Amino acid sequence: MKNFVVLFVIFVFSTVAFAGKPKFLEHRYEYKLEDVLKADKYEKKDRYWEAYTGGKLVGYVLLSKDWTPQHVGYAAKHMETLVGFDTKGAITGVKIIFHAEPIVLIGLKEENYDNFIKQYMGKSILQSMSVGNEIKMDAITGATVTAVVQNAIIAESAKKVAGMAGLIKYAEQKGHKLSKKFDALGWKELMDSGGVKNILVTQEEIGQPGGKDPYIDLYYGLVAPPSIGKNVLGERTYTEVMESLKPGESAVFIFSNGPGSFKGSGFARGGVFERFNIEQDDRSYVFTDKDYKILTEVAAKGAPPLKEGGIFIIRAKDFDQSKSFKLKLIIGYRAGNEKKFKPAVSDYKLPDKFMEQ
Amino acid sequence: MSLDRRKFLKYLGMAGAAAGTSLLVSEGMKTKEKGVGPTVAEAQTAPQKHSADVKPGELDSYYGFWSGGHSGEVRILGLPSMRDLKRISVFNMDVGTGYGITNESKAMLKGKFCGDTHHVHGSYNNGVYDGKYLFVNDKLNNRVARIRCDYMEVDKILDVPNIQGMHGLFTQRAPKTEWLVCNSEFQIPVPNSNPSQPPAQYNGAHTIIDAEKMEVVCQVLMDENMDLAATDYGGRYSMTTSYNIEKGVTVSEMLGSDYDYMLVFHWDRIKKALKDGKHTMIGGVKVLDGRAGKSDLTIRIKVPKNPHGINVSPDGKYAVCSGKVAPTCTVVAIDKLEDVFNGKIKPEDCIVAQPFIGLGPLHTTFDGRGNAITSVFIDSTNVKWNVQKAIDNEKLPEEKKKNTHIVDVLDVNYQVGHIMATMAETKEADGKWLVSLNKFSKDRFLNVGPLKNECEQLIDITGDKLKLVHDSATYIEPHDCIIVRRDIIEKVVKDRFNMFEHPQAVTKSGVDRKGKKVTVKLTANAPVFGLQEVQLKKGDEVTVIVTNHDEISDLGHGFALSNYNINFVVAPFQTKSVTFTADKPGVYWAYCTNFCHALHLEMRMRFIVT
Repeated sequence: MKNFVVLFVIFVFSTVAFAGKPKFLEHRYEYKLEDVLKADKYEKKDRYWEAYTGGKLVGYVLLSKDWTPQHVGYAAKHMETLVGFDTKGAITGVKIIFHAEPIVLIGLKEENYDNFIKQYMGKSILQSMSVGNEIKMDAITGATVTAVVQNAIIAESAKKVAGMAGLIKYAEQKGHKLSKKFDALGWKELMDSGGVKNILVTQEEIGQPGGKDPYIDLYYGLVAPPSIGKNVLGERTYTEVMESLKPGESAVFIFSNGPGSFKGSGFARGGVFERFNIEQDDRSYVFTDKDYKILTEVAAKGAPPLKEGGIFIIRAKDFDQSKSFKLKLIIGYRAGNEKKFKPAVSDYKLPDKFMEQ
Repeated sequence: MSLDRRKFLKYLGMAGAAAGTSLLVSEGMKTKEKGVGPTVAEAQTAPQKHSADVKPGELDSYYGFWSGGHSGEVRILGLPSMRDLKRISVFNMDVGTGYGITNESKAMLKGKFCGDTHHVHGSYNNGVYDGKYLFVNDKLNNRVARIRCDYMEVDKILDVPNIQGMHGLFTQRAPKTEWLVCNSEFQIPVPNSNPSQPPAQYNGAHTIIDAEKMEVVCQVLMDENMDLAATDYGGRYSMTTSYNIEKGVTVSEMLGSDYDYMLVFHWDRIKKALKDGKHTMIGGVKVLDGRAGKSDLTIRIKVPKNPHGINVSPDGKYAVCSGKVAPTCTVVAIDKLEDVFNGKIKPEDCIVAQPFIGLGPLHTTFDGRGNAITSVFIDSTNVKWNVQKAIDNEKLPEEKKKNTHIVDVLDVNYQVGHIMATMAETKEADGKWLVSLNKFSKDRFLNVGPLKNECEQLIDITGDKLKLVHDSATYIEPHDCIIVRRDIIEKVVKDRFNMFEHPQAVTKSGVDRKGKKVTVKLTANAPVFGLQEVQLKKGDEVTVIVTNHDEISDLGHGFALSNYNINFVVAPFQTKSVTFTADKPGVYWAYCTNFCHALHLEMRMRFIVT
């Protein structure tokens, strides 16, 4: 087994053409597997390596592009990451081997990125790892897209390998079918049923003078069950969204009121919604503007006001709508002139009444 | 004709007084006058929010598709905000997008950069827009353009022979748009090869076009001129008004006759005549003879002289010809047309009402609740009137004299041309908003010099009264518009997913030279073009092809070449090209003009001409 991999970056400049991009835009680094996990022998398995010291299995090494190439950053490119973790699931090292994130544009340096990465050392991949909670954005504050996507790459890739290696055991829960039945439900019934969930962050929670007034009052849920989707979105939008889905794709609606914004404005240029993502088991689902349809009206009777909203498509076929998932938010706000973030997590489990009995 | 204007205004006063007893002016009006809330009509028809105030982050409820008049373009507005959303270059040159500069647009325009767009109409399915195409005419160079609604870009332009003054365009409404028709307002020699032909031998032609193929199906040769056009809701007829049956070539000659015509074209008979080979080929297209006494393809309904607009009510029952020179509208029952074609009744017998409207009625639109609203140019008003009441009043001379069909009259500022209500040219007319496209703005905006903008006014028509809610300044010079419910269009509009729709899409940048012909292939990917420099020799004929490789929605790139008078914009996954002669030696920077990246200014490259 070859344990030493060296990659060279060659920019071919000529008077006429050059391949690749100027150096400040793309960064590629040499790497060795031992950069993230010290061992004397690395054995190649299917898309990851087992690391051995003195014949004893000490951990695992993986290359993220083998596992989560769909996660792309601000530059619309995957940040190729080498991750090592030990047999208990503790991260032993993380190294970025390729990225094109324009962090330099927001006054950051490569070492800021390195500092962000360093905090993963020792963190358990068996636990939740989300930006704003276990993972702090301080080192690359401002580069929220980069941080959120980079985290998704590390956490999801590592969890997938851990699952493969037997570190994580999932309760085999066979996906239930969603009920096709439609009951006309008003807003209160939708909320009471658990088909629509709420995340409320008050002004006072983020140290603002508004007291109990919402900073962000957010509602979300699955679109597909007719008794949820059709009631919330209205027949027309519901049908349009459902008809636009390819087999295996899922849709969630999110809308909010209050001065805070869950969409933010950063997605416009980068195409990535950096303020929220969905997690299910070891998988993280990040949304881009290609997965998004604006939502401007809520049809359900008695619904709270909508200031901003969207329907977001989970493209991946591995998302199971009948199983529980988390919506994770990073709520941005300003304390004086300082940019701050408050994380929020909400659990969603489709109530039985919306599934086939 | 002559009419005492004061007397007319007096009539209106009486109409107002009579309103209290009318079915049409309800309780709601009274409560509104007391200022205690919305009218009953509003409450009934608009249970949801009905406000012209579209707040930041909110979207409009309607797409408005506007012709741009002699700017040659089509515009998209959002309603009710009246925000200008997009200008679609059609028959003009647009140095912003590069339309008229790129090889792709030049191939459609064939060197003609002047245009005069009058009427935009959409493709239909069963009387409602299907969101597939928009069609627009060019009165100046006699062309029809098609806009594909998914990209909101022109995809075809058809040059129509044998006609001039292409006025009036309308699409087939049922069962779906296979044909569209357009008219010729100016009679000319057909073919136009003998300039000394006397005007008495000039002709007009009603042109039928295949909407999918964008080819002329046939033309129906006429003695009359034809301006506005309409189709019925049954897919059986096209209709038009004619104001110059005299074949006059001066104003006074055109006003010579006491009457003019509404003309109707029978589509099944046209199809049969084509099948039977009754056409002759003129100017490369099939021409049928529709002149009086020459065939059974057309009928002529006498209307007061020099009429203007023709519009069909959303229930499909009536065609309304607006009088222009006459102060009336002529209401024609469409279900009686077949009997006229079959000689069972006289053409005049299908006229069911000729109500008084005002001085200079031009165009009529509908609220879907049985009311028509007619633009009145000389009076500078919008007049709302009830169609059934006007028909009923034909048998009640006293009622007719009192103008009890008139529900409300609103002064508009100033001198209205076309008007259009939301969805009014479909069977789903919803009576929410009306736009009055006024030709003069005078004092409605800050004075911007002698050439002033137009003033388009938004009017709330949910109540009995027409309620002016917004003035909107407009650049030269929309003629007409359609207002389409958002849900019909928004599901159709999309980004480009297939880069290879353009056969020359660049995947790898490079330079190909064949003698003096040089092809420069460029990818654009923020913030770099695929090449940093290109070496050229003076006299080279250079074609630059640019493909935007950025996938992110809305991330367009520009390509501008300094001192070479070149600029165009490529949307994500789009390819455009331009050809020029490198006639100036030196170093010339090409750069991105469409803001794309924090390093947008650095997105540039050199063309070195030795």
